[in-house]
Amino acid sequence: MTTASLLLQQLINGLSLGAMYALLALGFTLVYGILELINFAHFNVFMVGTFIAMWTLEGLGLSGQSVILHGPALIAVLAAGFAVTMVVTGVLGVGIERFVLRPLRDVKGPAAMITTIGVSYVLFNVILLFVGAGSQNFPNPMPQARFNIAGAVIELREVLIWVVAIVLMLALTFFVQSTKIGRAMRATAQDPEAARMMGVEVDRVIMTAFFLGSALAGAGGMVFGLYYNYTSFIVGFTAGLRAFTAAVLGGIGNVPGAMLGGIVIGLIEALGSQFVGASWADVVIFSILVLVLVFRPAGLLGRVAPNKS
Amino acid sequence: MLTRRSALKASAGFVAASAAGTVPAVAANQVVKVGIDMPYTGADATAAVQITEGAQLAFDEANKYHEVPGITFELLKYDDGTATAGQYDPAQAATNARKMVSDKAVLAALGPEMSGSGKAMAPILSMGGLATITPSSTNPDITDPKFAAQFRPGGKAIYFRTVATDAYQGPNMANYMAEVLKVKSVYVLDDTGAYGVGLANAFQQRAEKIGMKVLGRDRLDPKAADYAAVLTKIKSLDAQAIYFGGVTEAGVKLVKQAYDIIPKVIKAAGDGMESSDLLAGAGFPAVEGWYVTIAAPHLVGDPRVASFLKRFNEKFHQQPEDYSLTCYVGARVIIEAAKDLVANKKPVTRAAMRDAIQRVNLQNTLIGPVSFDANGDLNNKIISVFQVRKNPAAPLNSMDQYAYVGIAPSA
Repeated sequence: MTTASLLLQQLINGLSLGAMYALLALGFTLVYGILELINFAHFNVFMVGTFIAMWTLEGLGLSGQSVILHGPALIAVLAAGFAVTMVVTGVLGVGIERFVLRPLRDVKGPAAMITTIGVSYVLFNVILLFVGAGSQNFPNPMPQARFNIAGAVIELREVLIWVVAIVLMLALTFFVQSTKIGRAMRATAQDPEAARMMGVEVDRVIMTAFFLGSALAGAGGMVFGLYYNYTSFIVGFTAGLRAFTAAVLGGIGNVPGAMLGGIVIGLIEALGSQFVGASWADVVIFSILVLVLVFRPAGLLGRVAPNKS
Repeated sequence: MLTRRSALKASAGFVAASAAGTVPAVAANQVVKVGIDMPYTGADATAAVQITEGAQLAFDEANKYHEVPGITFELLKYDDGTATAGQYDPAQAATNARKMVSDKAVLAALGPEMSGSGKAMAPILSMGGLATITPSSTNPDITDPKFAAQFRPGGKAIYFRTVATDAYQGPNMANYMAEVLKVKSVYVLDDTGAYGVGLANAFQQRAEKIGMKVLGRDRLDPKAADYAAVLTKIKSLDAQAIYFGGVTEAGVKLVKQAYDIIPKVIKAAGDGMESSDLLAGAGFPAVEGWYVTIAAPHLVGDPRVASFLKRFNEKFHQQPEDYSLTCYVGARVIIEAAKDLVANKKPVTRAAMRDAIQRVNLQNTLIGPVSFDANGDLNNKIISVFQVRKNPAAPLNSMDQYAYVGIAPSA
């Protein structure tokens, strides 16, 4: 492998990681932008998403890597997997908001944030007790197709990750920019009081933000499973922490910022492992985060938070 | 003494002896509690249960046949796995060791499974004078007299093993890779745990000494999901082989991603990767071809073991793993030690049990002769090599997928 192709390969690795982090980071950012709440339950909504995706695929008759599909059958199975997973995790997110966080919405201080940590651990332990502790073999029906580009290898599943991430991000951008409820979300993010006075149903906006963020985490979970062919009850923490870092790096509350932050973190992780050493990946990631925040405290693209008077 | 026939003989001997009136009248029945520390939570939980069942079988049989007059054995399980660690957690192991030491009825212990836990437990057990027999923890430091002040502050050996240590497992595998697999260049990985780092260090030292080219060394964070960057680096270096010191939490992900990125590279690991947890989590085809070692002779094909397998299967409805055997033998050592004390009319106490375990000399166990040196290490040191080869006739998560390929040559 030449240096150029090695660099290209690590860029490909980093972009795949980054796309996954970005999908997760969007959930943090959507909720923060509207409620100014860091939702730590998001870590494990993602983890639950990997399991929902696994059970959906198994329910469709896949097991391990032994069933390989092609053409329309493959697309149908993957589409069904994404649809079911996103709806279930979306509903889970709405449930967390409705039954756990809404009663606390007017409580000042960190009560709501601490509660999200509690919810996170509940999800974590429910999966641990229900599924057990071992690593699960995630079904993957995709053929082992590889494309060689200038000495680097791109796999079909990496293409899938990028396509899914780009489609979902475009859909989200369209939703936030061009629909009525999207406009209401932006209005609520700017000034919840004024939005309420203008007739925006703030409860509905918050529910929508939780649904979208959690559905994206579900999509992230499906992508994670298809990429690594494995899941376990513990996968939420590392991925969640990196994604949260990505959201802060890009500017928390800022939707394009979360996407950019995810990609940047993914690239730093891959290139850091190559040139500094894998054991240093976190040190490199967080050093760069600190540096960025020192010089740009609001993150790369600027922070967006509700103006609470 | 370990086959059904010899077990019968032993109990027959006891019956004859009591008929002749040579067995001393024992006072009220004494319950000897034996603590066992294993990670029942986390990535290695399945193996932990299988290993424990080895001890359970030994004690249940000893109780059933009243093998030690006046003594009933009770196995107490302590879980050193925590949900936050996702695998064994040395801090929890230390807490468990304190619990065992403070329970006066606990006279001996088994475990831990993992060396990281062993390092945390050994000093506490030593101060409490409680002997433990580990069926699987192989980090050499714990019994090395160089580190006696750290791991054996109480003076006498309390950490006994029914396996050889990584001082043999890593280096012997380096020899095997050089001599049998003709490997000339290798990249070394570990999973940051005490066991993994120690094993990888021992391997690396020997590999360098015998002229293998060590292209690099990296650590895999067991909680991270992505090792593609490291594996891409290994690919770019054209490594002929990788050696991984670690357990299945990082191992499952390494196996999956190595299969995609470096499919043709020879892959080897230690006993931490010889487990049905690995087969279940990583699955075929990714796991095919991996070499692993265990720090014990492989006697599962041996007729002496057939009876053990049958009894194990009847009781637990599953296959044992290799360390179920070493754990069974560990439990047998405890039973023999208690038997020795009772036969010599000595009180069965913690200190007496330690001394009796130290003196044990069994010739014909499931893992060959068992006796301990002054540090608690097994005198008989054999490293067995296995390769994962798909055996469609057996369940894909069963230990039958590990084919025995021979003994790793000693240094």
